[in-house]
Amino acid sequence: MPSTAVNTVKKLKAIAAEAIQARVLDTQSDDQESEDDGGVDEEGMKRLMKALGEDGLDEFDQAQLEVALEGEADVNGDERDREEIDGEETHTLEPDLVQLEDVEAAIDDVIPTQKVEINNKVALSRIRESIQLDISLPWTETLAVSYPHAIQVDVNDDLSRELAFYKQALHSATHARLLVAKSYSDFPWTRPNDYFAEMVKTDVHMERVRQKLLDEKATIQKSEDKRKEREGKKFGKQVQIEKIKERERGRKEMEERLKGLKRKRKDTLEAGVGDDQAFDVAVEDAITDRPHKRSQSGFGSGSKLSRQSRDVKFGFGGAGRRLKQNTRSSTDEFDFGHKRSTGGPSRGGGFRGGAKGGPKRLGKSKRLAAKNK
Amino acid sequence: MSSILKAQKFNAAKAARNANGKGKRKADDMMDVDDSDSDSGEENGQTAGPAVKKRKNKQRVLLLSSRGVTHRMRHLMNDIEVLLPHVKKDSKLDSKSQLQLLPELADLNNCNNTLYFEARRHEDLYLWAAKMPNGPSIKMHVQNVHTMDELKMTGNCLKGSRGLLSFDKGFDETEWGKLTKELFTHIFGVPSTARKAKPFVDHILTFSILDEKIWFRNFQIIEKDPLSPNGPPQTTLVEIGPRFVLTPIRIFEGAFGGATVYSNPEFVTPAAVRSAVRREQGKKYNLRKDAEEASSLRKEQRRREEDELAVSKVFA
Repeated sequence: MPSTAVNTVKKLKAIAAEAIQARVLDTQSDDQESEDDGGVDEEGMKRLMKALGEDGLDEFDQAQLEVALEGEADVNGDERDREEIDGEETHTLEPDLVQLEDVEAAIDDVIPTQKVEINNKVALSRIRESIQLDISLPWTETLAVSYPHAIQVDVNDDLSRELAFYKQALHSATHARLLVAKSYSDFPWTRPNDYFAEMVKTDVHMERVRQKLLDEKATIQKSEDKRKEREGKKFGKQVQIEKIKERERGRKEMEERLKGLKRKRKDTLEAGVGDDQAFDVAVEDAITDRPHKRSQSGFGSGSKLSRQSRDVKFGFGGAGRRLKQNTRSSTDEFDFGHKRSTGGPSRGGGFRGGAKGGPKRLGKSKRLAAKNK
Repeated sequence: MSSILKAQKFNAAKAARNANGKGKRKADDMMDVDDSDSDSGEENGQTAGPAVKKRKNKQRVLLLSSRGVTHRMRHLMNDIEVLLPHVKKDSKLDSKSQLQLLPELADLNNCNNTLYFEARRHEDLYLWAAKMPNGPSIKMHVQNVHTMDELKMTGNCLKGSRGLLSFDKGFDETEWGKLTKELFTHIFGVPSTARKAKPFVDHILTFSILDEKIWFRNFQIIEKDPLSPNGPPQTTLVEIGPRFVLTPIRIFEGAFGGATVYSNPEFVTPAAVRSAVRREQGKKYNLRKDAEEASSLRKEQRRREEDELAVSKVFA
C-alpha cells in the first residue's frame, strides 16, 4: 500500500511540475530547462524544485501551483476512496492532513489527530446480504427479537440506563412469549417443575448469593434499629422525668392520706389500745383505696396479674440464697453465742472466739506510751 | 510459529476424529455447513438438499483468547462458554500478529464463527467477532466487564438453554449496526441443533446501542412471581450476568483481515486516553517549572551594574 501512496505523490509532483514548467522555463535559464517536457523523471524534478526554492516562484505561480494540485486531487478522488477502503495509514501523506498536523504541532495542542471515517455502506450491505440467514427459516431457529424503540438516556445515569435495558429485555421477552403462544404453540418455552438439570450457576454459588442478600437485609435492619433508638433517646429523658414526678406525687398523696387518718383517730389512739384493730383496718382501706382511685382515673386495670405473668413482667429474682437454713456443720454446733459459719469447714473457733475479734486493747499507760513514742 | 500451529492443528484434528467416530449423522451435518459456507457463505444449508427436509440454523463458534489475559477476562470467557452451548473453546493463541491462523483453526474445529479475545498490556481487552471462512470480522474494544461470579447478579438459568436475543432500534438505523446485528444473531443465538442445547427459554441476551457503544446484558426470565405462586403469570427479569460494553473499532471485509469497510472515528485508544490523563497530571509540574525559569530570568534582568560609588569601591 505504501507503494501506491508513493505513486500518488509522484504523480502529484509530476503534474505540478508540468503546470509550472512554462513559467519556470522563461524565468530560469539553466540547463535543466532543455529537458524534454514529456519525460520529467523523479530525480530531475527534485533537482528542479531544489533549484527553484521558495523564492523562485512569485505569488501568481504559487497560486497556479495550488490550483493544479487541487485539480489533481479531484481527479484522484476515486483513487483516494479506494485507499480509504483499504484502511492503511497512507492518508497521513496526503497534503491536507499534513497541513493539519503541522498546525497542530505548532500550537502543541492535545486535540487528537483527525481520523478518516470509513463507512462503506454499499460494501456493508453487500456483506450483510452474503451472510444473511435464509428468510424462510422459522423464527424459533434464531430467537432474535427487535425492540422498536431506540435507547435514549443519559449514559452516566446508572439507574435510568439500567432501567432502559430492563425495559427493553422485558418488552422483548413478553413479545417473544406472545409470538410463541400465537404461532409456535409446540415450541417448548416454560420449564416444567420436574425438569431438573445443571444450572449456569452452581448451588454453592447461589447459596452465597442468598447469604449475601440476607446479610444485606440484616444490615439494613440493624441500622434502622439504631436510628430508631437514637430518635427515642431524644424523648427518653422527658419520659424519665415524667415518671419520677408521677412517683413523687403518688408518695405524697399516700402520706397525706395517712396523716389525715392519724389526725382523725388521734384521740382514740391516745385513749387506749382497744381500737388498734379498727385503726389497722382504716389504714388498710386507705392504702387499698389508692389503686381503686387510680383505676377510676384511667391508670392500669384493676385485675391483678397472675403470678406467672407478674414474674415474666417484673422478673423473678430467683430462689433465695438459703442463708438462714441449717447446714450440716451448723446442726452439729451447739455454741449459740457466736456468729455461725455457714458452709466451709468450721475452724473450731468456739472456745477462743473472743480472741478472734482483733488484738486486745492494751492498758491505759501502755497506750499512752505508744502514742508518745 | 509453525510449532504453535502444528500443536493447535493436532488438537483440532484429534477432536475432529473423535467427533467423526461418534456417529455418521454428525459428520453429515458438518458437511452441510461446510458446503453452504464454501460456496455462498450462507449458513442455512440444505439449499441443495431435498425440499422436505426442515431448514436448520447451524452455527458453531470457536472461542479463544490471546496470551496474557487477566483473570477477569478469563472469567468473562468462561461465562460466555457456559451460556452458549454451541461454543468450542480452544487454547490460547500464542501470537497476536498471526491472526491469519484463526480461519485455519476454525476450519479444523468445524466452526463457522469465531470469538477471539485479544488482551493487550494486561489491561485492554479487544474482542474480534468474525464469520469464519470469508468474513466479515468486527473488532471491538471491551470495557466495564462484570462477570457472573459477582454476587450482585442474583439470576440463574439452565445451562445450555437457548436464550432470546434482543436488539434495540439503534441496530437498524445504521448499516454497520445491521451487519453487527446479523453477526451477533449468528454468534450469540443458540441453534436448536447444538448438541448441548436444552429446549426451554429462560433467559434473554440484550444488546443495546447507547452512546455509540453496544451494551450487553443477560437477564433471567421468571414467569411466576415467587411471592404469589398462584396468581396470574407476571413476567419479571433478574440479571444473571455477565455485563460488558463493546465499542466497535473497525469492520473488515475478510476473516481477520481484508479491506476495512467501517471504522469508528469516535474511538480513542485506551493508551491515548491514559497518556492524556498523565499529560494532564504533568501539566502542573510543567507550569511550575516554567514559572520558576521565568522568575529567575526576570531576577537576572533586574540586577544592576556595579556602581562607581559603591561602598566597596569608595572605602576599599
